[in-house]
Amino acid sequence: MHFATLIFKNVFARPSRSVLTILGLGVAIGTMIALLGISQNFDTSITETFEKRGFDLVVVPGGMVDQLSGKIDESIIEQVRQIPKVSWVEPALLEVIDMEQRDRKPGESTAPVMTVLMQAWPPANFDRAVSQTPKDLDLTDGRVLNADDTGRGRLMLGSTLAANLGKKPGDKVILLGKPFEIVGLFKSFNVFETGSVLMLLSDAQADLDSKGKITGFSVSLQKGSDPEMEVEAVRQAILELKGKDGRQVRLSAEPPRKYIENASHLKLTRAMAWMVSSIAIVIGVISMLNTMIMSVMERTREIGILRAIGWPKRRIIAMVLGEASILGLLGALVGALGAIAVTYLLTFSPRVNGFIEAGIPLSAIGLGLAISFFIGLAGGVYPAIAAARLLPTEAIRHE
Amino acid sequence: MNDSLRGPAQGPLLEARGICKTYPDGQVRALDKVDLAIAQGEFVAITGPSGCGKSTFLNILGALDRPDQGELFFRGTSLAQHPSLDAFRARQIGFVFQSFFLLPALTALENIQVPMFEGPIGPIKDRAKKAAQLLDLVGMTHRARHRPSRLSVGERQRVALARSLANDPVLLLADEPTGNLDSANANHVLDLLIRIREERGLTLLMVTHSPEVSQRADRVVRMLDGHVVSQESPAISKKN
Repeated sequence: MHFATLIFKNVFARPSRSVLTILGLGVAIGTMIALLGISQNFDTSITETFEKRGFDLVVVPGGMVDQLSGKIDESIIEQVRQIPKVSWVEPALLEVIDMEQRDRKPGESTAPVMTVLMQAWPPANFDRAVSQTPKDLDLTDGRVLNADDTGRGRLMLGSTLAANLGKKPGDKVILLGKPFEIVGLFKSFNVFETGSVLMLLSDAQADLDSKGKITGFSVSLQKGSDPEMEVEAVRQAILELKGKDGRQVRLSAEPPRKYIENASHLKLTRAMAWMVSSIAIVIGVISMLNTMIMSVMERTREIGILRAIGWPKRRIIAMVLGEASILGLLGALVGALGAIAVTYLLTFSPRVNGFIEAGIPLSAIGLGLAISFFIGLAGGVYPAIAAARLLPTEAIRHE
Repeated sequence: MNDSLRGPAQGPLLEARGICKTYPDGQVRALDKVDLAIAQGEFVAITGPSGCGKSTFLNILGALDRPDQGELFFRGTSLAQHPSLDAFRARQIGFVFQSFFLLPALTALENIQVPMFEGPIGPIKDRAKKAAQLLDLVGMTHRARHRPSRLSVGERQRVALARSLANDPVLLLADEPTGNLDSANANHVLDLLIRIREERGLTLLMVTHSPEVSQRADRVVRMLDGHVVSQESPAISKKN
């Protein structure tokens, strides 16, 4: 008999308690894996949005906690285009807005609303998005917005959002309280974009009372011999730009990965994911501690016998920690499978399918396994030491 | 393992000199300057009324507990200085308890292998083979795959006896091994213990209340209030 066999048999000698502990731990670890996985997918997806489009710098208002709520004067774009090595500047206005979920019924002043991500670009961005290889946007139905659509209340919908709303080109949707005609549907490599609305920049600025304002812009550079140095030079030039009033414009310009690391709303998402995960981990440790203390207490006489027949303290500790580790790893397995299943099922929910990507990154699963193993050890250490300290003569007499 | 503990018997196998033990509350002196020498291969029965200190004495003789005063010698070497009493117990002593104390999650065959984790037998295959031989020795081969809950009390004690022999000990300590058995099973287990002791040349030290068991010992040590009050050989007593 292997020592591991003994440990396994001990774990499943009390199947109900072990299964409940594994399930409890599975919920804790599954929550952690799902949250961290969604957060990582979110980061990766946004990073890809910039990197796949060949952007070298992401520029947003500087010195603000919530960069999405800040605005930059659109006039600065022309100055950026004049900076040496800059090949393309793409301004955008991003906003999270309310959209009515369905057509209004007779007599209704408004239908139930849902929150969607809206991106607004100038017409040139749309031309570039569908014409370059690989395509930024894959037109699945209808046509792309162009300059002629300006002021006519037209927009494009991501295919996931369109499917949720049951809309197609030619239909109308109500956005910001105004009807808009859908001219085309699109798919993007980015799940958030596929669940979003695309509008012309000037229309969005008018409807959002943000005339001449953008929330940020992305910059591509000509490919040179020392990309890092060139990116840094352009970054410095952007940071030194002056506005119409002659004062320096407060901007934050970072390469995409650094922008993702520092973006406050993404930091907040990660912090929330970790905060909930930390609570789940603490609950997991307490649950494991409870199970293992009970297990050791119930087996006081058994442990006394093992000590009596010559098992040293280290073997008792190894046995108890081994049992806790097995519970931890099985909990992680249940949690990982649960997290994968739940995130997959969530992608079918219209409420969140524009925000959640199916699948959990392997790094999140790996982290979940490692933390669960740690939970097992952390929850097992005290009971293991307590078991090893039992005096054989007293343990055998224990009732 | 200390080499002197493995060597041939020079004088007594086990010797207790001036053993004292007071329980932590300080009220009860369980053992008071107890001396006892046990020869290699001897069967010694320790008897006496409940609370006389015989189980405490057995625990100290089995290195399960340390005396407050006095010394214990194994083959002439003091155990007080021994670096690991765990290793000493694992290799030199087999224990048989009144309540068997088999691990409920394991089969009979597996229970016998539990002491072997700290014993001299390395390969797992050899351990399983040895466990099977010991089960055969106690006539329990047909119950090898059964857990303790499916064994009768007599069968459990036979498995516990096989377990005590797992690491080929030289000394077998038995604390009321027949105390939980009916007379038929008690006789069977006692016969087994005595037969195995004779076949293997083991030293057997048994705490018992039973006069029938004591009668079969080479020597009966009677204890009262933490003292050894008499030592006699039942065979000589019968002749007299």
